[in-house]
Amino acid sequence: MDETLFSPQKIFVTKDSESFPLTHRILKNLSQLPVEYIQAPHDIIEEVKISRDPIGEGKKYLLITHQRGQYVKPCPCTPHYIGCNYFIINADLNCPLDCSYCILQMYLDNPLITVHVNTERMWKQLDDFLHTRRGRFLRIGTGELGDSLALDPITGRSTELVSYFSTRSHALFELKTKTINIKNILKLKPSDNVVIAWSINSHQVALTEEPGAPDVKSRLEAARIVSRSGFRVAFHFDPLIRYQGWEQGYAEVIEELMACIDRKKIAWMSLGSLRFPPSLKAVIQKRFPQTKIMDEEFIRGRDGKLRYPKPLRLWLYERIVGFLKKAGGENIPLYFCMESQDVWKEILKKTTSGKREVERLLTLPLVDR
Amino acid sequence: MNLHKISLDDVDHKDERFRFSYHFDLDMFLLSIKKIGLANPLAVTKRSGRFILVTGWKRFFACRELSLSPLPVVVLDEEDDLRAFLFSLYENLTHRDFDLLEKAEILHKLNRYIHNERQIVKEYLPLLRIPATLSYLDLYIKISRLEARWKRVIYDKKMSLPSVELLMEFDAEERELLLSLLLPLGQNKQRQILEDLMQISKREAISPGEILNSQRIRSVVQSEKLSPLQKAEEVRSLLKKERYPILSGMKESFDTSLKKARLSKEVKVEPSSFFEDGEFSVSFNLNDEREFRKRLVKLQKLVSDKDFFSLFKRIPDG
Repeated sequence: MDETLFSPQKIFVTKDSESFPLTHRILKNLSQLPVEYIQAPHDIIEEVKISRDPIGEGKKYLLITHQRGQYVKPCPCTPHYIGCNYFIINADLNCPLDCSYCILQMYLDNPLITVHVNTERMWKQLDDFLHTRRGRFLRIGTGELGDSLALDPITGRSTELVSYFSTRSHALFELKTKTINIKNILKLKPSDNVVIAWSINSHQVALTEEPGAPDVKSRLEAARIVSRSGFRVAFHFDPLIRYQGWEQGYAEVIEELMACIDRKKIAWMSLGSLRFPPSLKAVIQKRFPQTKIMDEEFIRGRDGKLRYPKPLRLWLYERIVGFLKKAGGENIPLYFCMESQDVWKEILKKTTSGKREVERLLTLPLVDR
Repeated sequence: MNLHKISLDDVDHKDERFRFSYHFDLDMFLLSIKKIGLANPLAVTKRSGRFILVTGWKRFFACRELSLSPLPVVVLDEEDDLRAFLFSLYENLTHRDFDLLEKAEILHKLNRYIHNERQIVKEYLPLLRIPATLSYLDLYIKISRLEARWKRVIYDKKMSLPSVELLMEFDAEERELLLSLLLPLGQNKQRQILEDLMQISKREAISPGEILNSQRIRSVVQSEKLSPLQKAEEVRSLLKKERYPILSGMKESFDTSLKKARLSKEVKVEPSSFFEDGEFSVSFNLNDEREFRKRLVKLQKLVSDKDFFSLFKRIPDG
C-alpha cells in the first residue's frame, strides 16, 4: 500500500523554527524541495490570501513555524446541539486533501499547510492539561484542523503522539484520517487508549467530493491492517450526503466495512449529516462548480449553520443505523456529531443530557464489551 | 495648481478618463448652487489643448443645467493620467464613501493604468473597503462591464454585492427576463429569486432561461390581473416551492392540519423555525379576564380534537 507523500512546491521556515528537530526531520524528508527562511509567516500568508484561490494556493506551500497559542483546546463543536466533549491538539493546520465540503476552507485565517515544530511546548501543555483533568477519562485527537496522518510520512508526528498517550491511560487518543499513511503506526505498540479513525463516505461521494483522498477501498484496507496489528479503529460517516442513489451507496460501504473489520476492534462510529456555515456555500460553489452537494434543500439550524431539514436528516440516520445493524454492528458505540437531543432520542433511543454523557458513552472500556 | 475661470463650453466633459461616478441625483447640488453659488471649484487638467474634468462631475452637470458660466476651476499641472486619476480618487475619499458602481469603475480604471493586479489589490482594495483579494478585483471589474441599464437598476434599487454577483451568473437574455421580476422587490427578495433560480437550474440541469420561459412562470408574468409586485411575489413563491420541496411540503401539511382544526383567530399555533425543534408554540390574545376564560375553554376543547393533534405528528420520511 503506497502512502501519499505531501510534496509542496516550496517550504517556508520561520527563522525561529530553524533549529528544531522536527524541522530537520521534515527538511530531510523533503530534501529535494526549495526552502525559504522567513522572519515571520505574516507576509507569505497575506500574499497567498490575495490569490484567486487562496485555499488551493495554500496547499502548494508548507509553512514550518511555531505554535504561539494553545496546542490543546476544546473542540469548538457547535452551539445549541449536543457535543461530545472532545479536545483537540492543534499540531498541524490545514490539509493537502481537497474535499469540497471541508470547513477549513473558511475556518482558518492561514491557508498554508502548517506544521508547528515547537513540540516541547505541546508536551508541556498536554502534561498540564491532563494533570488538571486527572480522574476523568477524556477524548482527545489531532484530526480537527487537519488530517491526522496526511503529513505523517514527513513529520512522523504520530509516533511521538501515540507513544506519549500510550502511557496516559485516562486519555483516549484518536488520530483521524482519510489517508492510508499507516507505516509509522504499524511500527508502534498498540495501546487500548489509542484509536486510529477513518473518515468514510460512500464510494460515489469519495470520488466526486474528496479529491486528493485515497479511495474508500484503500481506506478500509488500511483500517483492516491497522486493526489486525492490534490497534482499535473508529469510523466517522461524516458528512453524510444525500444524492441520487445514496441509500445503496451507504449500504454498500457499510457492508464492506463490516465484512473487513473485526467489530470488536471498532471503538466507535459517528454520524453527521452535511452542515456548514452559510459563508462556506459561496466558497464551495466557486471552488467546486461541478459539485452537486449544494443542490439539496438546506435550512438554517439553531446554530446558524445550513443543514438538511430534520425529516431528511432523520431519514438518512435511520437508514444508516439500519444498514449498520443489518451488517452486525448493533453493539458498536454510535454517536452523532452536532445533532439535537430529539435526533438522538428518535434514532438511537437514547436521551442524552449533554456532552458529559456522550463522553462517558464513548470512553467505556471496550475490551469487555 | 492654479485657480482660473473658464467657460463651461471649454470643458471637454466627453473625455471621461478620470470619471468614476455615473449615477447621481443633482437636486441637492442644484439647490446648493442656487443658494450659495459654486463653493468649491472643479479640478481640470489639459490634454491636447482641451480642459478635461478631473473632479467635480456633479458640480459640472449642475452648473450646466443652471447655465452657470464661466466656472471657477483648479487647473492641475499633471501630465500623468494615473496621477490625475489618483488626485480625483483621494480628493473624493476625503469627504464621502463610494457606492458599489463607483468602486467598480475606480478599479476598472486603475486596472487600465496599473499593470500589476497584486499592487491594485494591496493598495487600493483596502482603501475602498473591499477584501484584498484578486477574486474581488475580478468581480468589481466584471461589474464595471455590465450593461448600462443594469447599472442603473443596481443604483436605483441599491442592489447588494452578493445579488449583483449572482446576477452576473445569468446571461444577458436571462437578465432581460429577470428585470421585471427584480424591479418591484427589495434587496433580500431579489437575492432569493436569483439564488433559487440558479440552484434549481443547476439541480435540474436546465438553463435559467428555460425555467423563466416555462409555462408556469410565463402564465404569472403575462397575467393581466396581477400587478408587477404581485407577479414578482408569485414567481418568488413558485421558485421557493421548487427549491425547497420538503420544507414547503411540511409547511403545507401543517397549514392544512391547522385549517382542519378550525382554531379561532385569536389562537395561534406555530412550529419552531424550519420545524427544526419538535416544539410548537400556542399563543392567544386577550383583552380581559372574560376573554381569557373564553380562550381557555376553547383550548380545553382542543384536547379531544384529532385534527389538532395531527399538527404534532412527525413529518413522513422523504
